[in-house]
Amino acid sequence: MIMRSKVLLSEHTKENLYHCNKCGLCLQACPVYKELLVESASPRGKVQLCKHVLEGDMNLSKKVNDILFSQCLLCGSCVAACPSGVHQDELFSGLRWRATQRYGIDWSKKVLFQTLSHKWIMYGSTWFVKWARKLFSGPWIESKIKLGNLPVDGIPPFNPKPFNREFPEIVKPEGPPRAHILYFHGCATNYVFGDIGRAVVTVLSSMRVEVEIPGDQGCCGLPIFLSGDRETSLKSIQETVRLFARKDVDAVIVDCATCGSALRKEYSQILRELRDLGEDVEERLIKDAELLASKTRDISEFIDEHMDWLPEFPTTEGPVVRVTYHDPCHLLKGQNVGLQPRHILNSLPNVDFVEMDGADTCCGGGGEFQIDHPETSAAITNRKIKHIHQSGAEVVATGCPGCNITIRSHLDRSKVKVLHTVQLIQMAFKE
Amino acid sequence: MLDEKITKELRKIVGDKNYLDTSEDLMNYSYDAFVPEARPEAVLLPLTTEQVSDIMKVAHREEIPVTPRGAGTNISGGSVPMRGGVVLAFTRMNRILEIKKEDRLAVVQPGVINAELQAEVEKRSLFYPPDPASMSVCTMGGNVAENAGGPRGVKYGVTRDYILGLTVVLPEGQIIRVGGRTAKNVTGIDLVGFFTGSEGTLGIITEITCKLLPKPEANQTMQAIFHDLDLAGKTVAKIMEEGMLPVALELMDSVVINLVEDSAHIGLPREAEGVLLIMMDGPQESVKLQVENIAQLCRDQGAAEVRIAKTPEEENALWFARRSAFGVMARSRPNCIVEDVTVPVSKVPTMVREIVAIARKYELVIGVLAHAGDGNMHPLLLTDEREKDEWERTQNAIRDIVLKAAELGGTLSGEHGIGMAKNQFLDLVMDKETRRFMGKIKKAVDPKRILNPGKFV
Repeated sequence: MIMRSKVLLSEHTKENLYHCNKCGLCLQACPVYKELLVESASPRGKVQLCKHVLEGDMNLSKKVNDILFSQCLLCGSCVAACPSGVHQDELFSGLRWRATQRYGIDWSKKVLFQTLSHKWIMYGSTWFVKWARKLFSGPWIESKIKLGNLPVDGIPPFNPKPFNREFPEIVKPEGPPRAHILYFHGCATNYVFGDIGRAVVTVLSSMRVEVEIPGDQGCCGLPIFLSGDRETSLKSIQETVRLFARKDVDAVIVDCATCGSALRKEYSQILRELRDLGEDVEERLIKDAELLASKTRDISEFIDEHMDWLPEFPTTEGPVVRVTYHDPCHLLKGQNVGLQPRHILNSLPNVDFVEMDGADTCCGGGGEFQIDHPETSAAITNRKIKHIHQSGAEVVATGCPGCNITIRSHLDRSKVKVLHTVQLIQMAFKE
Repeated sequence: MLDEKITKELRKIVGDKNYLDTSEDLMNYSYDAFVPEARPEAVLLPLTTEQVSDIMKVAHREEIPVTPRGAGTNISGGSVPMRGGVVLAFTRMNRILEIKKEDRLAVVQPGVINAELQAEVEKRSLFYPPDPASMSVCTMGGNVAENAGGPRGVKYGVTRDYILGLTVVLPEGQIIRVGGRTAKNVTGIDLVGFFTGSEGTLGIITEITCKLLPKPEANQTMQAIFHDLDLAGKTVAKIMEEGMLPVALELMDSVVINLVEDSAHIGLPREAEGVLLIMMDGPQESVKLQVENIAQLCRDQGAAEVRIAKTPEEENALWFARRSAFGVMARSRPNCIVEDVTVPVSKVPTMVREIVAIARKYELVIGVLAHAGDGNMHPLLLTDEREKDEWERTQNAIRDIVLKAAELGGTLSGEHGIGMAKNQFLDLVMDKETRRFMGKIKKAVDPKRILNPGKFV
C-alpha cells in the first residue's frame, strides 16, 4: 500500500470534528491539561487547533506539531469523557501523521519502528534482544541516567531469550480442551516481560484452554501509528490481521492494554479512514479486521468470563498481601475493562484488595511521551505514585506493560511491586 | 499586537511561563462554550491578587481591554475577548486556602474547580450546594462572576446565596475586600451581590469566601412518568404550591427521553410524554415521609407510574438519563444550543407548550429539559451553524422563546448569563431607566470601559 493521498483527514473524521461544542467537559479528563492548566494542552484546545488547521486559517506549524506530540498522551480519556462523541484520538493521530511528513521523525524512533515492523527481526531473533540489552543496560550507562522521565535503572532487564522461543506453537492442556485460543503476546512480553507470558500460558492451561502462539507474530503497530508513521505501521496491521483473524478459534487473547485496543478498536477504524482518504484498502482486509476485533479479549476479561474453569485455589493460610489496581487508559477507556480485574483480585485467597485514589487516571507514561517530554510526564506520574503509596498496597496490579514500566521505575521498589493481574492468579496457585 | 514596551512590562509581572502570545495560544483563548470567537492579543495567567492589580494598572494606563476567564465553560460568550486586549485566565490560581468547620466557610482562589471544593468539604461532612452541570470543570471565580446555578437550586438557591466575601481588583488596580466571614452582614451597600453575576464587567474576583452547610444525612430520588406533557408541567406547579421542598425537580420531554433511550437502552418509557425527576433530602426519617407524600401527589395528578430508587444503583440509574441528556442531544447534530429562559413556576406548563409549538413552527428538533422546580427552562435546540437556513430558523426560534418568556413575566437567563448571547434581548425585560442606571454604575467603576467590553453593560 502506498500513501498517495495528501488530504489531511477523511470527510468522516472532519465532520466529527464539528461536533465539538467547546463545552470543555474534556478538560478534567485530560491528564496533561490538569498538569499544565493552559487551554492549548486541553483536548478542546487541540480540537479547535485541528479545526483551524483544516480550515486553512492556521498553519500546521512547528508549534502545532509540538502541541500534538508533546501535550497529548493519546490516552483516550477525552474520547471517553466527550458528551458529543468527538474522536479526538483519530483526529490527533491523523494530524500527527501529516506533521511527521512535514517535520520528520526522530531517527532513533525510526530505527525502533522499522525494527518492530519487520518480522524477520521479530522472528525471535536474539539480535534485537542483544542490541536492546546493550542499549539499556550496558555497563557504559550510569545507573542514574534517565531516559527522559524514565530512570534507566528502573527498567526491567530484557528476557534472556524472546518469550516466543520458550514454548511450542501449540500448548496443549492436560485433559480435553474447553477452548482453543490464539495468544497475541505483543513486544513487551516477548522482550521484557517473559514472566507475564509464562503466567498467561500457565493460567490458561490450568483452565484447560489450548493456547496457540503464532511464532512469527510482530508488533501490533499502534505505537508506530500513533507516532504518525502510518506507512510503517500498516505493515504490522496487515501481518497481524493475516495471522490472527481466524474464524476457527474461540478467542484471541491479549495481555497488553495497548495491543488489545489496537486489535479490537483501532484496526478497522484505521483501515476505513485510509480507504476514505483514497488509499487502496481491500474490503476483505477490513472484514478480517472486524472478525479479529470480535474475537479479541483482554486476558483478565477472558478469565473473569470463565472463572468456573479455574481449579480450586489452595486454602492454606498464607500471609495476606495488600493489592491495589491501576487502570491502564487503553484498557478502561479503550476497551471498557475495569470491573473484571477487580473481580478477579477480590476472589483471590490471601489478597486484601484496596482501591487507591485516582485509580483510573493516567500514569503519565504514554509510550514515548515520557522520554520525549519528561517534565509533564513526571508531574503526572508523581501524582500516581503518591496515590499508590497512600493506599498502603504491597502490590500494584495492572494490565499494561507500558504502565508497568512507568510505575515500577518511580516506585519505592523495596516496598511495592508491580505485577500483571494474571501473575497474581498464578501466584495464588503456587501458595 | 501589544507594543513591545507593554509586552515586556506585562511579561515581567506574571513571568514567562504565564504569558502566552503565540498565534496558536491566542486562538485557544478566543472561545468559550458559546458560538462566536474573538482573539486576544495576549493571555496572562496570574498567580496572585497583587499580580492582577499590577496588570490592571498597566491596562488602565494603556486602555487595554481585559477579559477575565475561568475554565471557559460558560455558554453565553462571557469570556470571549470581543475587543481583543488581554485575557486573564485564572486556571493556575487554584488553591483552597481554608476550610473552617466551626464557621462553616471556605476560602478559595478563583481557579479552584467547583467539584474539587465540593469533594473537599464533603470529606468534612460539609456541603456546598451550587452544582452547575459543568461542575467537574468550571471554576469558582467563573461561578461567582456568572452567579451560576444548578439542579439543586430549587431548594438551595444559587451561587449568590453562598458568597460571604470577595477580594476584588478594580479596573484601575485598587484591591478591595467586600463582605466578610459572617453569615449576617449589613455593613454598607451589598457589594458582594454587586459583583456576583456582574460577568467580569465591574471588577476581577481574586479570592472568594463561601458559606457552607452541614451535609444532609440522606437523600432519595424518584421518577414520575406522565403520558401528557401538560400534566407533568402542572404537577411541577402543584408540588411547589403544596409547599413541598424538593432538592431538585427536573422535567424531560419525549424528544429527550427517546433520544436517550436510542443511545443508552436503559428501559426509559418511550411512550411517556413527560418525565419528572425529583430528589428529596434531609434526615433519613423525613426523607422517607417526603418521598411518600410527593409520590402520592404525582399519582393524584395523573402520573402513569412512579418509580422510587431504593439503592444507590437505582438512584444512579434514574439520574443517568438526565445527566446524559445533553451529551446524547449534542451527539446527534453538530450544534446543540442550550436556552436558559426562566419563568415563574406557575407558568411552566404554558412555557413547555409554547416551546413545543415553536419547534413545530420552525421545523426544528427541540428537546425540552428544565430545572422545572424553579422555572428554569433548558430547551435544547439541535442545529448546524454551517447551514444558513437552519441556523436562521434556530435564531428565530430562540427569539420566539425569549419573547414568550418575557411575556409570561419571566426573564432572559436563569443561570447562564447574558454575555453576548442575550444582549440584544435586554430591552424586553429591562426598562430604559434601569439600563441607564446600570450604565451609570459601569461608568463610575470602569471609566475607560476596559473590563470585558462588548458585553451587556
